[in-house]
This record gives sequence, C-alpha cells and structure tokens, in this order.
Amino acid sequence: MQEIINKPFVWIALSILTYEIGILIQKRVKNPIANPLLIAMLLMIGILVATGTPVETYNTGGSFISMCLSPATVVLAVPIFRQMEVLKRNLLPILAGALVGSLVSMGSVFALCRLFGLEDKLTASLLPKSITTAIAQDVSSVLGGIPSVTVICVCLTGILGAIALPSFLKLVRISDPVATGIAIGTASHAVGTSRAIQLGETEGAMSGLAIGIAGIITAVLASVIPFFG
Amino acid sequence: MKYLKQFAILCAFCFAGDLLSVPLHGKIPGNVLGLALLLIFLCLKWVKESHIYEVGEFLQQNMAFFFLPATLGILEALPQVGSQFGILLLISFITTFLTAAAAAFTVVFVIRLQSRRRIRREIQAETEEASCRK
Repeated sequence: MQEIINKPFVWIALSILTYEIGILIQKRVKNPIANPLLIAMLLMIGILVATGTPVETYNTGGSFISMCLSPATVVLAVPIFRQMEVLKRNLLPILAGALVGSLVSMGSVFALCRLFGLEDKLTASLLPKSITTAIAQDVSSVLGGIPSVTVICVCLTGILGAIALPSFLKLVRISDPVATGIAIGTASHAVGTSRAIQLGETEGAMSGLAIGIAGIITAVLASVIPFFG
Repeated sequence: MKYLKQFAILCAFCFAGDLLSVPLHGKIPGNVLGLALLLIFLCLKWVKESHIYEVGEFLQQNMAFFFLPATLGILEALPQVGSQFGILLLISFITTFLTAAAAAFTVVFVIRLQSRRRIRREIQAETEEASCRK
C-alpha cells in the first residue's frame, strides 16, 4: 500500500477530483465565496490530515501539478498580445497603477506588521504576498523570510482576490476594464487573474500583465531594501 | 501530436526564460522572462497564436488549479507560524483591498489626467488656428 501511495497517480486524481467538486459547488451556489481552489484546498487538507499523509508524500503527485504553473504564466503573453492596442494606448496609466499598487502593498504590509509587533522574519515573509509565487518565494528568501509561509500567504491573498476584488472594485465605483484588470493582477496575481479572465478579455489581459509588472517592481524594490535595513 | 508540439513550444519558452534569469541572478524569475520572450515572438510573428492555442487555453482556464499543491503548504507552514497565523491572515486581507484600490484609482486618475491634457491641447490648437485665421 505504501508503495502505491508513494506514486503520483492517487494524488493527481484526488487533486482533480476535489477541484471538480469545487467547480460543481460554485456552479450550484453561484456565489464567488464558493471558490473552487478554496474548496479543493479544504477538501485536500481534510484528506491529508485524516489519512495522516505528510505533504511530502502528496507532493510526489503535487509537483506535477505545480510544474504547470510555469507554462501557464508564460502563456499569459497571448491575452496581452491580443490586447496590444489597449496596452499601447494606456501604457502610462498601466505602469503607474502597477507601481503605486506594489508600493502600497509593501508599505501597508510593513506598517501593519509593525503595528501588530510581528517579528522581522514574518514581516519579510509577508512583504511579497501580492505577487506571483515564483517571484514571491525568491523575494522572501532574499529578505530573510520563510518561503513556505510566503507561499501560503500568496495563495490565500490570491483566493481572497478572486473571491472579493471584482465586487469590491464595483463597490468603489471602478468600472474601467483596464483599471479593474490592473488592480486584480497587482493585488492578487495569477489566482486573481483566473477570475479576471471570466470578467472579460481586457480585464484578463491587464490582470495578466500586472502580474509581470508588479512582480518585477516588487523584486527590484526588495533587492534595494537590504541596503537600507 | 498537435498538443504535444504546443506543450513543447511553451516548455521551450519556460526553459529559455530560466536560462535568461541565470545571468540576472534570479532577480527576475524565469517564467516572467519566458512570458516577455513569448510576447516578443508573437509580435514578430515568429510564433503564431495557432501554434500554442489549445494547450494555452487549457493552461489559462485551469490556472487556479495549478496552485492547489502550493496551498497545501499551509500544513507545513502552520507549525512554524503557530498562533500568529490569524494576524498574518488579517494583514493579508486588509492589504489586498488597499493594494487593489490604490492600483485602480491610480489607473483611473492617470487616464483622466491624460484625456484632460489631450482636450486642453486640442482647445489650444483650435484657438491658435482661429488666431491665425484672423
């Protein structure tokens, strides 16, 4: 039995199954809170805890799924390419939005961490939480954070962004698709983008674009921070 | 075969991106560089959308799913963070809204600024034209 569990198949199948259950529930409930990733995460945690399976064993299959993140990020070039005209026309607002968003993200995280008296290690782990996992992990370790804590904050931020940001932006009366996309991508990276794609092609493309811009801006800012700290 | 080829092309861009990020000391991660490379190739028409269409759609439509293994890292991270997890969560939540609002309002503000300037320039051009006619 142990040998079978150490093979990737059961974990890949269970991951897809729980995610499909998540999609089914979302279709039934029709409420963004029923986020498929959130549901799959809770179900998988339940399965792993109930069977006493270490995450390491899960990752024999999980690593195949994570591997797809890279080509999935690369292929975001396609919606950006399709929206080239919108990008050219709005280059300055897009860059300004992603820059200000990234600054506010890091600034507000830093301020709140100080306010709550978190230790430096946790503050460093939380600083890059709005950007995509690949970049966030590196930024976290450069700053002296704990990469695994960073990744989980990144994921939870993404899920929150996917659930709440479209309605939040509507609430504060943002209707411009470029502004909506840039805001979702800057604040909640690729997981947020997966929802932005459903809002419309411009939103999706701008959100995908913002992942790259915000990621680069944050990485560059983070490489500068140690000189002051 | 079509799908395999499409996947191979995308993997090649991932690889090229990773390769490029080495001399940059990983400051910019490989997948962002791969994205930039693919965008350049699409603009130069060296790669056509049809070369990667089906696999690309598949990857994009299931983007959130690929994050599932990463979210399960919570089981490993939790013991390291312990009681402070609630605070981390709270800070993550608050700052997500602040970030989105800041980004959205900046985009809207700059777009408005640009269009106002454009209108002013047009009015100026018109008045100049009018004064020339006189």
